[in-house]
Amino acid sequence: MNRDQWERLKTLFHGALEQSPETRLDWLTREAGRDEMLAREAAALVAAHETAEGFLETPANVDPADIAGPDFLEPGTRIGPYEIEREIGRGGMGIVYCARDMRLDRRVALKALPQVDEGDATPRERLRREARAAATISHPNVATVYALEEIDGRLFIASEFVDGHTLRSDIERAPLEQTRALAIAADIARALCAAHDAGVIHRDLKPENVLITTGGAVKVLDFGIAQVESVKAMRLTHPGAAVGTPAYMPPEQLLGAVTDARADIYALGVVLTEMLTGQHPLTPGSRPMPVSASDIAWRCIQIDPDQRYQSARELLAALERQLAHSSESAVDHAAEAIRAEPSAWWWEFHQAAAALVYGVMTWPAWIARGIIGGKQGDAMFVAVLAAAIVAVTLRLHLWFTSRFYPAELGWARARAAAWIVAADSVFAGALVAGGVLIGDARPELAVAQIAVGVGAAVAFLLIEPATARAAFRPRTRL
Amino acid sequence: MPLVYDELRRIAARYISRERPGQTLQATALVNEAFVRLAGERPRSFANRTHFLAIAAISMRQILVQRARARRAAKRGGAPERVTLDEGLIADEGRSIDVLALDEALTRLAKLDPEQARIVELRYFGGLTVEETAEAVGVSPATVKREWAMARAWLKRALRGEPRRSSAGGHA
Repeated sequence: MNRDQWERLKTLFHGALEQSPETRLDWLTREAGRDEMLAREAAALVAAHETAEGFLETPANVDPADIAGPDFLEPGTRIGPYEIEREIGRGGMGIVYCARDMRLDRRVALKALPQVDEGDATPRERLRREARAAATISHPNVATVYALEEIDGRLFIASEFVDGHTLRSDIERAPLEQTRALAIAADIARALCAAHDAGVIHRDLKPENVLITTGGAVKVLDFGIAQVESVKAMRLTHPGAAVGTPAYMPPEQLLGAVTDARADIYALGVVLTEMLTGQHPLTPGSRPMPVSASDIAWRCIQIDPDQRYQSARELLAALERQLAHSSESAVDHAAEAIRAEPSAWWWEFHQAAAALVYGVMTWPAWIARGIIGGKQGDAMFVAVLAAAIVAVTLRLHLWFTSRFYPAELGWARARAAAWIVAADSVFAGALVAGGVLIGDARPELAVAQIAVGVGAAVAFLLIEPATARAAFRPRTRL
Repeated sequence: MPLVYDELRRIAARYISRERPGQTLQATALVNEAFVRLAGERPRSFANRTHFLAIAAISMRQILVQRARARRAAKRGGAPERVTLDEGLIADEGRSIDVLALDEALTRLAKLDPEQARIVELRYFGGLTVEETAEAVGVSPATVKREWAMARAWLKRALRGEPRRSSAGGHA
């Protein structure tokens, strides 16, 4: 069934429902005319409708057990020497519980590997490797791994239970003050130094994996996809099977190429930017951040790994230098904060300028209406006015959103796109048509209308897509 | 999306620990609870409630389909079990609907009429009211009602799996 037929079917269906039940079929036969196939289809739909009472009327019923997943362990469950207390989180690799180790009577974080098909040993192997690798790291900024347990054929990792909240929840409350952000970044860098020295790359560093303890200390968790930096391990994560969180992965990791410790440097650059601005560095219309810190973040997120800091130690040195400097001057660098964003500026300018032109052009259209006269004149003017109202409203809305709620811009643009295209087309068309109609009476006005009409068409067909592309392409630099 | 997804699963987990397993509840209950929790925690992440509900509806559909698929895979060996759609059961037992068949039919409907498919997703998997659906899709409640009626009729036919011709034969 093609689009046209579907639309016809829709009209028939809705039309038939407006008839009384007894006359519906006759009405359909009459309306469908020679198109028997369509009449049959519509009749079948109407028949289905008449017996569809209650069908799908009650929203989906769900069994919580289905949604929670089959691996869910209820509080109080004993699993080996551990007693489950509660669930504390879920990640790509499995559910994490807070549990009590009955042997030592201490709290642990217990991470369960999701049950997988017998044949698929990859996640299991990954988890084994995670434990072995992470257990070799000993550092106050790294959550210590205690043991890898195999209980009833299932794998669990027991590690230090850290009581606190994630860095993510801090960032979401409000951007962090510069000195604090730098201090946290430095602690993460220290954790990375220790891990890298042990030959372990985190590969999934993100604010969710950084805990701030109730005492204020920083702990990096979940070396969930960390691999021992060895050729043997390389074979297991085959290229193309991206493991990690895309937003924090450097380009080489996204492309499935071989990654090294500098992938963690990249991730830390993203985390630092988020701490200071609340936004990912590649968000269009990013909020300004203190230039000094942004220089460090910028260097971390270079596309070419050779352009980044080459080691966590080098990055740590830069962070410490900056920390010393900012505590000395103690002046907030707000003044030097604005890093202008020319591409987004142009796009915003385009929206504002287009809104202005649309508004202004209703005046000559009004004059033209008088000259053309009659229904034609009215139609032309109403078309210009209606298009102008729609386009001006939407463009100002987008402009406003871009300035004040940049995070919602993508959504706003998607919703407005079709309306703007329609309004632009009507606007350009009506102006040109008006210009042609008044050609003899007021040639100068005619030329002006046609020029603006054509100009508007060119602007929305050629210029706007270009400014939009420039403003919304994922930027490779800060 | 993953945020809503995780939250739905977390809340489901809490339901299990709180109440007896094996009982069902409506998707709407989960979705609403997730909204209340996430809206409190992350006030800026969602433009508004409707935006959230729309995302939650998609998440619910994905989760339910995944679970249904996993359950079917677990029974591999025998022929895939399809729950038959008894007319009498449908009215009061939402559970008797074969989620996989519905998902498949909905995907086909989306090719013919994306808006109708969206409306079904929001209403059935998200538990949105007509008004909420209208706001999420950006059309009037009257339009939602009309489109919903047609989508439902179409899906009913699709799920019944009758050959297309026979249903029209009745009146010829």
